[in-house]
Amino acid sequence: MNDSEQAPIIPDEGEVGFVEYQDFVSEEPFKFVSGGSLPELTLRYETYGHLNAAKDNGILICHALSGDHHCAGVHGIEERKQGWWNFMVGPGKPIDTTRYFVICSNVLGGCQGSTGPGSINPATGTPYNLDFPKLTVEDMVKAQSLLVDSFGIDRLHAVIGGSMGGMQTLQWAIQYPERIGRYIALASGARHTAQAIAFNDTGRQAIIADPAWQQGSYDPANGPNQGLAVARMMAHITYLSDVGMESKFGRKRRNSDESKEHFDVEFEVESYLRYQGASFVTRFDANTYLYLTKALDRFDLHSPESLDATLRPVTAPGLVVGFTSDWLYPPQGNREVVEALLRLGKHATYAELAMDFGHDSFLVRAPKLYELIHRFLSR
Amino acid sequence: MSPTDKKRQADFQIIARWVNEGDRVLDLGCGRGVLLEYLQQKKSIYGVGVDIDFDKILSCVKRGVPAYQGDIRAILANFPDDAFDRVIFSRTVEHLEEPDAILAEGLRVGRHVTVGFINKGFWVNRVNSLLKGRRTVNEVYSKPWYESLPSNPFSVAEFEDYCDARKIVIENRVYLGGDWRTECSKLPNLMAGYAIYNLASTD
Repeated sequence: MNDSEQAPIIPDEGEVGFVEYQDFVSEEPFKFVSGGSLPELTLRYETYGHLNAAKDNGILICHALSGDHHCAGVHGIEERKQGWWNFMVGPGKPIDTTRYFVICSNVLGGCQGSTGPGSINPATGTPYNLDFPKLTVEDMVKAQSLLVDSFGIDRLHAVIGGSMGGMQTLQWAIQYPERIGRYIALASGARHTAQAIAFNDTGRQAIIADPAWQQGSYDPANGPNQGLAVARMMAHITYLSDVGMESKFGRKRRNSDESKEHFDVEFEVESYLRYQGASFVTRFDANTYLYLTKALDRFDLHSPESLDATLRPVTAPGLVVGFTSDWLYPPQGNREVVEALLRLGKHATYAELAMDFGHDSFLVRAPKLYELIHRFLSR
Repeated sequence: MSPTDKKRQADFQIIARWVNEGDRVLDLGCGRGVLLEYLQQKKSIYGVGVDIDFDKILSCVKRGVPAYQGDIRAILANFPDDAFDRVIFSRTVEHLEEPDAILAEGLRVGRHVTVGFINKGFWVNRVNSLLKGRRTVNEVYSKPWYESLPSNPFSVAEFEDYCDARKIVIENRVYLGGDWRTECSKLPNLMAGYAIYNLASTD
């Protein structure tokens, strides 16, 4: 979900510029909600801006399913793409790095440097693969809290995230209410709809049905790339909107080469999705995809008792933002979180943006979103 | 404060009179959140605004006023009985599609309801209609009809008839003159430019 196209840039004023990732290693055993555990864990992260003396200006950004810790700046002069939320994070931007110390980590279970199914199990010397413990959003947030601890931060100024990151954000507000000053959850919700679960499972089945998957024990160099690419193509459709796809691609044809095979790429939209699929497999791990989508499908703030009961511990003021064209995490699912918070007498705001970019709207630079986030963080 | 804002906010003090310290207040059609901000400052209320327009919600965020972007009827249905000490309709009722049903919902969700509105029966409105054949344009409602929200204006007499018919208790009422500032009491249906009611349901 972080493939917003951006022109190559030379870092200059107003940009965080060159950044480097770091690895946080916790040598304590890490226990999962499911009962499983890891002997140690690593979270790869980046930070932007400076932690102040009072250590109260930290902002944690939680990334989406296919995102990572690299949300702003570039790693080197040759890097074509800036971090996935570069327009939102930087000097003078809504998440202003001259004011805030911004932390973004690759999620637990991820494949961009944090401990996940592809990491080596120190007990066996081989990758965890399907021995990786069952993962939940609670586990992801707990791991992030250890990283926050490592900076000596008791209380974050804010936690903010979209999609899976929005669910983590809500989980932060529930799990560590005293540790956050405010939170912003974009394009998220209290739980997946049947449709969202259906799409996720179709993606998982594409991976599992790929012979190269090998019950999860594939060689990383020869993974189930076909299955993962199809999963990504299909998921990518759910991140866009009908209107958005129509205006971007319509029925535009790639080329009119009659000599080509009947089922070769013909339409622009096919070319785009195949590219999305092909590039995704170069940076993403199939088992991580299985684990993360499953964690999201199981995330359910209505359980075990009710949405109101789950949200009762929340103390921080919250902002929940829905997007009109998001049919994966539709406005109603975002709204119901705020409705419950208001029933409970909490400080919560619901705002809805009319944008045509579907679920991915939160990754699109829009002046109204810009101002909304800036204002909410400044209060 | 501009003269327009002054007039727009003329009813704040009266609305605040009926609000107790620390009350839970729901402002339906909250606009930019100015009234709730005022009540937060004067009465330390817990207030929530509701508006359909994103830019209004953004203004509420600037003021630190929690707000919900959406439909008034839908959000009212979300709340249990007496969830709020007070539900406020300030220049909102005339824009509602189902005023009767929504006022009933307001009285269910709020222990008290404040309704503020422009009196259609005010003599200036009558003169404009009778002599000029035009609606009244003032500082607050300066735009021509084609740039304004659909509106279903009513008079003091019509509103009081409605409260009678629905057995709604009028706990207090304040009539303001054409300046929306000076209180008046005589012949309110003719002399009041603006009227504010403090209501409760009979049970």
